[in-house]
Amino acid sequence: MRFDVGDRVRTQNRNSLGHTRLPAYLRGRDGEIVRRLGAFPLPDVRVSGSADAPKEELYTVRFAAAAVWGETAQEPDVCADLFAPYLERAE
Amino acid sequence: MTRINDVGGMTGFGAIDVSDDAPGFHHEWEARVFAINRLLLQKGVYNLDEFRDAIERMDPLDYLEASYYERWLHGIETLLRAKGLIGAL
Repeated sequence: MRFDVGDRVRTQNRNSLGHTRLPAYLRGRDGEIVRRLGAFPLPDVRVSGSADAPKEELYTVRFAAAAVWGETAQEPDVCADLFAPYLERAE
Repeated sequence: MTRINDVGGMTGFGAIDVSDDAPGFHHEWEARVFAINRLLLQKGVYNLDEFRDAIERMDPLDYLEASYYERWLHGIETLLRAKGLIGAL
């Protein structure tokens, strides 16, 4: 799936047992695409040593602090670079 | 499920030193580990994701006790053993 800047997305709540670049604190969170970074080999597949891991689009996604740490969060918003397979479209 | 490296948002580890004048290496061996890893990556012995994965698979207690470059050395040794390039240590 491809996304554009401004799209609302939700991160997958995956029960990952292997290497991934989707951190636990960003699973199942709502955010917004703020930058498209291009396509790169998916780390979750490349970890097998595969030289031909599929390239996937990478995006900078911004999450409101309250969406990550809770309603009373005082921290700044969180930005993370996440691959398309980690994301689904949100309303 | 998560691995021991995935501690984002967890408290109790103390403040992170973000000063620009912090030394890159605290011991000479750390620079050697850094160089060995760069060379093995460049030569295609393993890729960066394999390296990260090898560190993430560390025993959780060992992981928490290890310094940054001790984890790197563990990752290098794990991968070289798995690929049959070194024997049991």
